[in-house]
Amino acid sequence: MTRRLGPELAMALVLIAAPFVLPHLGFSFDLLQRILDWGIIGLGFDLLFGATGLLSFGQAAFYGTGGFVSAYLLTAHIVGSVWLALAIGTVAAGVFGLLVGWLAVRRIGIYFTMITLAFGQMAFFLENSPLAGLTGGENGLPGVPVPSLAGHKLTAGEPLYWALAIIFLAGFVLARRILHSPFGTVLRAIKQNTARAGMTGQSVPAYKLAVFVIAALYAGLAGGLLGVLQSYMPPDAFMLDTSGQLVVQTVIGGVGTLIGPLVGATIWLWLRDNLQLIPHLGALWKLVLGLIFIALVVVLKRGIAGEVAFLVSRRRAHAAGEGVPEEGGEAAVMPVKAPALALHAPFAVTGPDVPALRAISLSKFYGGLHAVEGVSFDVRRGSIHAVIGPNGAGKSTLFKMLKDEIPPTAGQVELFGSRITGLGPTRTAQLGVGKSNQLNQLFLDMTAEENVRIAALARARGTFRTDLWRRANSLPEVELQVRAAIETVGLTHRAQVPAHVLPYGEKRRLEIGIALATGPNVLLLDEPLAGMSPAERVATRALVREIARTRTLVIVEHDMDAIFELAERITVLYEGRLLAEGTPEEIQRNQAVQDAYLGGMHEEGMQGEGVHA
Amino acid sequence: MPSAPLLLSQAFNGLALGTLLALVSSGLTIILGTLGVLNFAHGALFMLGAYAMYVVATATGSYVLAVVVGVALERGLVRLFYARPHEDQILVTFGAGIVFTEIARAIFGGNALTVPTPSWGQGIVHLGFLFYPTYRLQLIGIIAALLIALYLVLYRTSIGLVVRAGIEDARMVGILGINVRRAFLAVFVIGVVTAGVSGMLYAPIISVEPDMGSNFLVQAFVVIVIGGLGSFPGAVVGGIVAGEIIALTSAFNAAYSDVMLYAVMALLLVLRPQGLFGSEGRV
Amino acid sequence: MTASLLEIERINSFYGDSHILFDVSLHVGRNEVVALLGRNGAGKTTTLRTIMGVLAPRSGSIRLDGEPIAGRPPFEIARRGLQLVPEERAIFGQLTVEENLRLAALTAPSAWTLDRIYEFFPRLRERRRSGGRQLSGGEQQMLAIARALIRDARVILLDEPFEGLAPLIVRDLVRVSRELAEQGRTILVVEQNVTAALSFADRVYILNNGHIVWEGTPEALRSDPALMKAHLGI
Repeated sequence: MTRRLGPELAMALVLIAAPFVLPHLGFSFDLLQRILDWGIIGLGFDLLFGATGLLSFGQAAFYGTGGFVSAYLLTAHIVGSVWLALAIGTVAAGVFGLLVGWLAVRRIGIYFTMITLAFGQMAFFLENSPLAGLTGGENGLPGVPVPSLAGHKLTAGEPLYWALAIIFLAGFVLARRILHSPFGTVLRAIKQNTARAGMTGQSVPAYKLAVFVIAALYAGLAGGLLGVLQSYMPPDAFMLDTSGQLVVQTVIGGVGTLIGPLVGATIWLWLRDNLQLIPHLGALWKLVLGLIFIALVVVLKRGIAGEVAFLVSRRRAHAAGEGVPEEGGEAAVMPVKAPALALHAPFAVTGPDVPALRAISLSKFYGGLHAVEGVSFDVRRGSIHAVIGPNGAGKSTLFKMLKDEIPPTAGQVELFGSRITGLGPTRTAQLGVGKSNQLNQLFLDMTAEENVRIAALARARGTFRTDLWRRANSLPEVELQVRAAIETVGLTHRAQVPAHVLPYGEKRRLEIGIALATGPNVLLLDEPLAGMSPAERVATRALVREIARTRTLVIVEHDMDAIFELAERITVLYEGRLLAEGTPEEIQRNQAVQDAYLGGMHEEGMQGEGVHA
Repeated sequence: MPSAPLLLSQAFNGLALGTLLALVSSGLTIILGTLGVLNFAHGALFMLGAYAMYVVATATGSYVLAVVVGVALERGLVRLFYARPHEDQILVTFGAGIVFTEIARAIFGGNALTVPTPSWGQGIVHLGFLFYPTYRLQLIGIIAALLIALYLVLYRTSIGLVVRAGIEDARMVGILGINVRRAFLAVFVIGVVTAGVSGMLYAPIISVEPDMGSNFLVQAFVVIVIGGLGSFPGAVVGGIVAGEIIALTSAFNAAYSDVMLYAVMALLLVLRPQGLFGSEGRV
Repeated sequence: MTASLLEIERINSFYGDSHILFDVSLHVGRNEVVALLGRNGAGKTTTLRTIMGVLAPRSGSIRLDGEPIAGRPPFEIARRGLQLVPEERAIFGQLTVEENLRLAALTAPSAWTLDRIYEFFPRLRERRRSGGRQLSGGEQQMLAIARALIRDARVILLDEPFEGLAPLIVRDLVRVSRELAEQGRTILVVEQNVTAALSFADRVYILNNGHIVWEGTPEALRSDPALMKAHLGI
C-alpha cells in the first residue's frame, strides 16, 4: 500500500519542504507559485504527450481561455467566488479543447502538432482584437482578486503557495490514477502502437479526444490560477511562446513522468531569474537554456526526471533478478489444454447453416495492380479454414479485408450473415473478429500481461469508457481473461517482462495472445508459424488445434505440412484470384495447384525452346 | 460593404503577402516532403535573413550566410534526427529556433529595427486603379521569379529528379547509386535559403526584431496544411490563398484577418484533410 | 584460377534480434547466372539485401572483384557495379518511365543509352511518358530490370522477378533473362518460380532456414524430386 502511494507521499513531502528549503536557494514565493502553475498545466500536457504521444503546440489556447474566462467573470463582477470562477474557466477551456480536439485528433504526427499550433495562434488573435473589448486586448485584465477560504483571504506569498500546492497535489494524484486506470492503459497502448490498439477494439479517436480534453482542463485551471496569483491576467498566456515553453520544460524535466514539467519549470524559471542577475550574461539566459534544451534532446532523451526514473527501475529490475530471458526449452511450457477464456464476443443468433465468415466477390485494386479479384468463399462455423498461395497471391490483402482493415474495391464480408465491410477494424473486433498479424504488432514497452490486458479491456469495456479512477487490474473478469490468454500461449512465466525483451518466438506467441484475448468468435491468423523454431512450430500447431475447439479459425500459412494437418478446408489463391477450394486431400491432388506452385506454366513451355517460336 | 477600389487594392496586397508566404512555405514543404522533418527553425531562419539584410548592404554576402547556416544546421543537428520520431525532430528544430532567436537578440538587442527600402525600389507607382509602393510591386515580380527558379530546379534538373524520387523512396534512390544524404543536405539548404531570402526581401517592409519569425512560421504551417504537406504547387497556391484571405478579410474587419485564416484551415481539415494538392495517406 | 566476381563468405545477418542468415557462403563467377532457391522465409531476400548493403551483416565478408564491400552504404556498392532489382520493384510512381531511367543512369560509370534500353524493351519506349504508377506489374518489372541495365551493372541481383505476374509476361521476362545470360551478364537471381529460374541458371544454391543446404547444377536438381520436395516443398 505504501509502495503504491509512494510517489504521492513523496510529492506531498517535497511540497511541504519546498517553502522551507528553496527560498535559501534563490526561489521567491512568487517563483514557487509560478513553478506550480506550470506544473499543473504540465500534468495534463504529460498525459497528452508523455502517455499518449500526442505533441501539442497549442496548450496556450486552453491556458489563456481558462485564464481569461475566470479573470473576466471576476473583474466584471459577474461571479463573486474566485473558486467558482476558476471552475467555470476550467470548464470553458475543456469545451474549447473538445472543439479543437475534434478536428486535431483526426490527424497524426506532424499534422496533429501543426493543427494544435494553428488553433493556439487563432485563440491568440481572437483575444487580441475581436474580443479585446472583453479581454483588454494587449493590456490584459488587471485586478483579479485572490480567493478566500473560510473567511480568510489567501494573499499572494505563503498562503497562496499552500493553496496552489494542494491543488497541484490533487491534480497529481488524479493524473496518476488516470495513468494507471484502464483508460490510461489504453492511452499508453495508443502511444506504443496506435494501429494495434484500434485493431483490438479500442476506439482510438475517442480516447485521443478524451485525453485532449483532460489536458485542456488542466491547462484551463492553471490559466485561471495564473490570473489569481499575479492579480493580473496577461495576454502572453495565449502566445506561442507559452506552448513552446511548456514543451521545452517538459522535455527538460522528463516526458512521461508527470513530474517532468514541474522539474523542467523549476530549472527553467530558476535559471531565468538567477542568470539574469549575473553581469554580462543577463540577456543570454534564454540562449543558454536553448542550448541545454538541444543537448537534452540529442543526448539525454529521457530528461532529468526520466533519467532518474529509468535508473531506479533498472536497479529494481536488477535486484529482482530479471534479466533478458533465455530462449530454449520454453516450448514445453505451453499447456496441452488451454484454459477457457472468461470473455467472449456476443454470438449472433442465426441459423446453424449460416457460415461464420463469408467473403463475397472481394476485390482490391491498387491502381493497375489487381491484388485480389473476385474472391468468394465460406468459412464454416467451428472449422479451421486455410488460405494458401504463392508469394504475391494476395493472401495478406485478402486477410486485411476480412477484418476491414482496408476497404475492398468491390465485394463484401459477412460475419454470421451480417455485413461487416465498412465498419473498420475497431468495430469488427468488437463484433468478434480477432487477428494476429504477419509482422508482430506489439506494445513493445509494456509487459506481456499489459499487452494482453489491452485486448481484454476492449472486450470487457467496449470501444470507449472513461473509468479514470479505477485501477487497470481491478476488473476480475478481465484479469481472468488475461491469465487464460497468457497461459494459453505459454507466457505465464514472462507475464511481467516488457514485450521488447522477449525473444522472437515468444513475441510471436504474444502476438497471438493479444488476438485471443479479444475473445473472438472468428480468429484470423496471418502466418502464425513464421520465424518460429521447429520445436515452437510443433507447440504452436497444438495451440492452434486447441484454440479451434471453441472458435472458428482462418489461417494463412506457408508451412504446407502444418496446413495439410490442421485445415479442414483450403482456399488457394493465385495472382489474386481463387484457384481452387477443397479438403486437404482434394487440394493435394489438384493439378492447377501443383502448377501454380511450380510457376504457373507447364514444363514443356518452359524448358523447350518453344518460347521463341 | 467596402468599396470596389478598396477591395481591389486589398486583393493586390494579398497577392504581395501571398507570394511571400508561398516562398517561405515552399522551403518548409520541400524539407518536410523530402526529409520528413517539420522544421520549426524555419521562422527563425526567416528572421536571420531579415537581420542579414540589415547588416549587409549587398545581398550577395547574405546568401552565403544562409547557405552556411543551412549546412551547419543540417550537418550538425538535423542529420542526427532523420531516423528519430517526428516529435524529436520537431523538438530539436524548435530548440535551434530558440537559439537563433536569442543569438539575434544578443547581437542586435530586442528593439525593432528598420531596414531602408533599396534605392531602386523607392517611390510609388500608379497602376491606374491604385497607387502602389514601387518596392512592393517589385517584390511580387522578384518572388514570382524565385518561385519559377525553384520550380525549374525541382522539376527540370537532376537534383530535382533525385529530390522527387527521394520523397517517394529514399532507400531505392540509394540503391541506384545516389548519395541520398548529400541530396538531403542540398534539399535542406535550398529550404533554408528560401526562408533566408524571404526574410531579406521582406525586411524593408516590416520591422525587424528577434521574434518576428514565429508568426511567419505559423502562417507557413497553415499554408502547407491548406496546400497539402510536401507539395510544392500546394505551397504556392496555398500561400496566395492565405495572403488573399488575410488581405480581403482586412477590408471588411481587420480584427478578424488572422482569425479567418485559421477558420478556413479548420474548414478545409473537415472537408479535405489531405489539403488541396496532397495525396491521401501521407504523413 | 581467378577469384569469382562476387564472393560471399560466412555472413550472418539479423533483423533486430532475429537471426536470419547463418554463415551463408556463396560465389558468383564472371558471366555466370546463379539461382538462389528456397522456401518462403528461408532468407533469400535477406541475402540479396545484405549483399547490396541495405542490411549490414554482423559478421562475414563480401567481396566484389576482390574488394571488400561489406558494411559500405548501398550507394557506394551500387557505384562499384552491383545492382539490386528489389522484390517490390520500387518504381518511382511519381516519375515517368524515362525519368526513372535517367535517375538510375545519373551515377553510372558507363551508362547504356536510352535507345539501347528501348531496343531491349520496346514496350518501355511506348510507355516512356507514362508515370510509374500507371504501369502494369509486368511493365514495372521490365522498368526495374531496365534500371539495372542502364547502369551497365557488373552483377545484377534479381529478387523474385516473376512474382505476381501472369504466365505470359513471365514467359516474356524469362526470354529477357535468357538473353541477358547469353550476353554474358552476371546475375544472382532469387525466385520462387523454380522452373522459370532453372531455365536460365548455370548453377543453383538452396537456402533453408538461413543455411545453404545444397549446391549444384539445374540438371542435378531437376533429376532429384526428393531434394525438391525436402527443401522447396514441391
